[in-house]
Amino acid sequence: MLQDILVTGLVNSGVYALLAVGFSLIFGVARIVNIAHTAFYMLAAYCFYALLVKGGLGFALAGAIAVAAVTALSVLCYRLVIEPVREHEAAVLIATIALALIFQELMLLFFGGSYLGIPSTLEGMVRVFGVSIPYQRLLILVVAALMLTAVWFLLYRTRLGLAIRATANDLEVANLMGMNVHRVAMATVAISVALAAVAGVVVAPVFVVDPFMWLAPLVTMLAIVVLGGLGSMKGSLIGALIIGYVEAITVFAVPAGAYLKGAVALLIMVVVLLVRPEGLFGVAFEEER
Amino acid sequence: MYLLRRAWAELANEVFVLPSRTLVLAWALALLALPLVYDDAYALRILTMTCLFAIFAASWDLLAGYTGQVNFGHALFFGAGAYTSGLMSQKLGVSPWLTIWAGAAVATLIGFLAGYLCLRLRGSYLSLATLAFPLIALGLLFAVPEFSGGELGISGLRRLATTPTQNYYVAALAMLAVVFGLWLLADSKFGIVLHAIRDDEVAARASGINTPRYKLVVFALSAAAAGFAGALFAHYIRVAGPSTLEVALSFQVVIWGIFGGVATIYGPVAAVFILYPLTEWLGSFKAVGELRLLIFAVIVLLVLLFMPRGLTPWVRDKIEAQCPRCKQRNATWRKMCRLCGAALKAEVARAQRLVGHQ
Amino acid sequence: MLRSALLACALAVAAPFALAQGTIKIAIVGPMAFVQGENHWAGAEMARDNINRAGGINVGGKKMQIELIRADTNEMQSVPDATNAVERVITRDKADFLIGGFRSEAVLAMQEVAMDYKKIFLGAGAAHSKLGINVEQNHERYKYWFRVTPVKDVDLVRTTFAVLATVAGQIRKDLGKPAPKVAILAEKAVWVEGIVAASKKNLPAMKMEVVGVWQPSAVATDVTAELSAIERAGADIVFTLLSGPVGIVVGRQMGERNMKSIAFGINVEAQKDAFWQAAAGKANYVSTLDTYAHVQMTPKTIDFVKAFESRFGKSPTYNAGSHDAIYLLKEAIEKAGTTDADKLVAVLEKISYVGAAGVIEFDKRHDPLWGPGKSTGIAVQWQDGKKVPFWPPQVPGMKQFKMPAH
Repeated sequence: MLQDILVTGLVNSGVYALLAVGFSLIFGVARIVNIAHTAFYMLAAYCFYALLVKGGLGFALAGAIAVAAVTALSVLCYRLVIEPVREHEAAVLIATIALALIFQELMLLFFGGSYLGIPSTLEGMVRVFGVSIPYQRLLILVVAALMLTAVWFLLYRTRLGLAIRATANDLEVANLMGMNVHRVAMATVAISVALAAVAGVVVAPVFVVDPFMWLAPLVTMLAIVVLGGLGSMKGSLIGALIIGYVEAITVFAVPAGAYLKGAVALLIMVVVLLVRPEGLFGVAFEEER
Repeated sequence: MYLLRRAWAELANEVFVLPSRTLVLAWALALLALPLVYDDAYALRILTMTCLFAIFAASWDLLAGYTGQVNFGHALFFGAGAYTSGLMSQKLGVSPWLTIWAGAAVATLIGFLAGYLCLRLRGSYLSLATLAFPLIALGLLFAVPEFSGGELGISGLRRLATTPTQNYYVAALAMLAVVFGLWLLADSKFGIVLHAIRDDEVAARASGINTPRYKLVVFALSAAAAGFAGALFAHYIRVAGPSTLEVALSFQVVIWGIFGGVATIYGPVAAVFILYPLTEWLGSFKAVGELRLLIFAVIVLLVLLFMPRGLTPWVRDKIEAQCPRCKQRNATWRKMCRLCGAALKAEVARAQRLVGHQ
Repeated sequence: MLRSALLACALAVAAPFALAQGTIKIAIVGPMAFVQGENHWAGAEMARDNINRAGGINVGGKKMQIELIRADTNEMQSVPDATNAVERVITRDKADFLIGGFRSEAVLAMQEVAMDYKKIFLGAGAAHSKLGINVEQNHERYKYWFRVTPVKDVDLVRTTFAVLATVAGQIRKDLGKPAPKVAILAEKAVWVEGIVAASKKNLPAMKMEVVGVWQPSAVATDVTAELSAIERAGADIVFTLLSGPVGIVVGRQMGERNMKSIAFGINVEAQKDAFWQAAAGKANYVSTLDTYAHVQMTPKTIDFVKAFESRFGKSPTYNAGSHDAIYLLKEAIEKAGTTDADKLVAVLEKISYVGAAGVIEFDKRHDPLWGPGKSTGIAVQWQDGKKVPFWPPQVPGMKQFKMPAH
C-alpha cells in the first residue's frame, strides 16, 4: 500500500503542478485574480480536441496551434476587457468571472454539454513497484518539470523576468524607472495563459472535456497556490505535492470516503492558512497598505 | 394631524430632496403595490426569488463592500440557513415561521466561526480560503446522507404561505426590512468604522478601534442575513439541497455585488432586481433562451467597461452632485447647495479649471 | 421598466399560442443543452409527429392535435431556474401536461410546483425513490406525478444482481475461479446507498467475494488512486454504480491501465453513444444497464430504435422515454375521454401500456412495475466501439458477453 500511495501521489501531483504554475504566475506575480485562468485551460483543451479529432491534425501541430490561439485570445481579452478596468480591483475580478462564463457558454453552444475525450498523446503504460502508470501521466510529470524550470529561468535569468518582478514589487516605481508596465503586464498574462494552454493540451487527455471542466481544477489550483504561498514557484510545487499526496492517502486510507478527497485537501489548505496566513512559502506582507 | 404633517415634512426634507432617495421610495412602493394591480403567478415567482436573492446580495455587500473582506464562499451562509431551517422543520416538526430564525441563528454562528478562522487572512488569501468553506461543508453533508439527504437534499419542506401573493409579500417585506436595516447599519457610525477598516486597517487600529471585533461582528451579521435569505428560499422552493452551497452561487453573488456597486447596500439589490428578471426574461424566448447565461455575462462585461465602479455609483453621479463646500449631496439640476447655499455648478466648473480636468 | 419588461415577455410568449385552439399542450421540461434534454425533446418530437399525422388524440370524440412546449430548465446549473421554468409553462404557456426532468434535486422542486397546480407530471429521468414515496405518503397532493422511466433505484438492484450473476457465472467458467472478487466502485450519492448495502450482504451468498467499497465523487475527474487500490485488491469484477461523468473516467482509466477486471453495473454515461469517443476508445468491455437496443423487449422496441436512429442520427437514451410517456398519455386520454387531470390519474393508475422500453404499469408509488414482461431494462457491453446488448438472454437479438484477454 505504501508504494501505491507514493507512486499515485506523485502522478497526481504532476497534474496539479502543471496546472498550478501558470496560475501562480498570473496570480502571485501580476496580482490579477484571474478566475478565467482555468477557462483558458478549457479553451485549449477544446481547441486541441477540435484540431486533433475533428481537424485530423497531428499531436504536435494541433497542440502548437491550440496553445498559440489561446495565448493570442488572452492578449486580446486583456487589452479589451481587463486593461480598461485595471484600476478597479473588484471590476477585474468580476470581469474575469464573466469571461469564464462566456467561454463556458460558448463551448456549450458549439460543442453541446456532452463529454468529449481526447486521445492520449502517448499510449501504453509502465509498471513501477507493481503500480501501473500510463505514459501520458509520465509525460505530464516531465512537462510540469520543464515548465517549472522554464518559468524559473524566465523570472530570474532574463530581462523580461526582472521587469515582471519589478512591476509586481512596485508598479509605480517600475513605471517611473521607464518600464512600459502595460506591456509587462500583458507579457505576464500571455505567459501565464500559455502555461494554462499547455496544461490543457497535456492534461486534458487524462480527463474528460466538457464546458464545466474549468470549475473543479480552479478550486484545486486556488488551494495549491494559496497553500504554497502566492507568487512562489517553489510554493506551488510543494503545494501540488501536498494536495496530490493528501488525496492519494485519503483514497487508500478510507476507500469509502474517496469522495472526501477534495474536501480534505481544502481542509489542509485552511489549516495551513490558520497557522501561516501567508501560505508555506509566501512572502509575509507585514500590514501591507 | 401633527404626526401626518411631521411625516410629510420628513419625507419632503429627507427623501424628495434627493432623486436617488425618491427613486428608492418609488421602487419600494411599487414592490408593495404590484400584486394589487398585476396578480400573475409567474411574475410573482420571479420577483419572490429576486427579493430573496436581493437579501443575499446585500448581506454579501456588508461584508465584502464595507470591510473589504471579499468573501468567495458566501453560499456557505445561505446553505447553512437553508439546511438548518429545512432540517428543523422536517425532522422536529417545528413551524417554518420559527425555524427560519433558527436558520439565521445557525448561520450567524457559522459566520462567527468563519470570521474567526479568517481573522489573520488578508486580501486574496481570505477570498480563496472562504471559497473552500462551502465545499468542505458540502463534503461533510455528503458524508451523512441519512441526515442531510445527500445529493437530494431535504425535500417536501413546509411552506411559509400558500398563495403566490402571500409568498411574494413574505419575501418582499423580509427583503425591505433586512435591506433597510443593513443600509441603516452601514450608514451609521458603525458603517464608518467599517469603511475605515477597509481603507486602512492599521490606521483604524491605531485610532483605538478593536478591528478584529468589528470584523467578527460584520461576519456574523452578514451571515445572519444570508442565512435568513437561505431559510426563506428553502421553504419557498421546498427543497434545501446541495445546490445552495455550490461555487456557482458564491460567484453569482460576487457578480451581483460588484455589478451593482460595492459598499452601497442598495447597489447589489438593484443589480439583482435588474439581472435576475433579465436572465429569466431572456430564458422565455425560444431563440435566445439557451443563450441566456452568455448574454448575461456579456451584459455584465459591457456594463463594467463603462461603469467600472458598478451601476449604481454611476447612476448616482449622473443625477446627484456633491456640494464642493459642505460635501452634502444635491440633485444635479440644483444651482445652490440645499444645505449650505454654496453655488454648485459654477464652483465645480472653476475648480475643474484650476486643477485640470480629471 | 421591470413590469413592462415582464409584460412584454408575457405577450411574446403568449402570442403564438393564443392562435392554437383545440390542442393538447405538453411541456417538455429538461436540460436542453445536455444529452438528457436533447433526448427528452427528440423522443417527444417523434411521438408528436406520429400522433398528429395519424389525426391526433381522440378526446371524447373530438380529435385534438398535440402541441409541444420546449422548456429549458437549466437544472444542471440552477435549481431555481428549473422551478421558474415549470411555473412559466404552467401559468404562461398554459401547458396541460409536463414530461421530463433529470437532476433529482431539481425534479423534487419541480414536482412541488406542478403539484401546486394539479398538473400531471410524467417523470422521464430521475431515479430517486423519494419522488414516489411522496405519492405514497400524500396521495391527494402528489398523485399527479408518475414516473415513466427509469425504474426506481430499488428495482435497479434486482436487475443488476441478476446480470451480475450472469457475469460471475462466465468468470467462473472462463477463469476457473469459484468465488470471483468484486470491488464496488460507487459514486457518493443517496441512490447507491441501498444498493451498496444490499451488495455487501447478498454477494457472498451469490458466491462472490467483496474486496472493498470505493466511493469517489460523482463529478470526480480522476480515479487513479481508486483504480490502483482496486488493482491491488485483485478484483475480477468492478461493480460500478455511477451516474455522473466519473463513469467516463472510470471506463477510460481502466482501459489505460490495461486492467484485467471487468466493469459492470450502472454507468449512465456508458449508455450514451458518445461514451466511446468520450473515453477516447479505451473503454472496451465496460458494461452497464440500459434501456433501448435492437432487441425485442416489446414488439415496439426495434421499430422505435430504428426510427429514432434514422431521424436523429444517434441511438436513444432512457430519457427518450418521453416518447413512451406521450403515447401513454394518449392512451389514457382516449380511455378517459377527457383531459381532466383527476380523471386521468384514475385511468393511469390502472393502465397497462406496451411501450418501446417495456410494459408500463404503475404501483402505488406511481413507479413503473418491475419484472420480466414489465419494465426490466437490458444490459449492454461496449465491444470495439459498439454497444452490444447481452441481457436478458432469453430476449431475441441478444449477443454474447465478452471478457478481456488474460
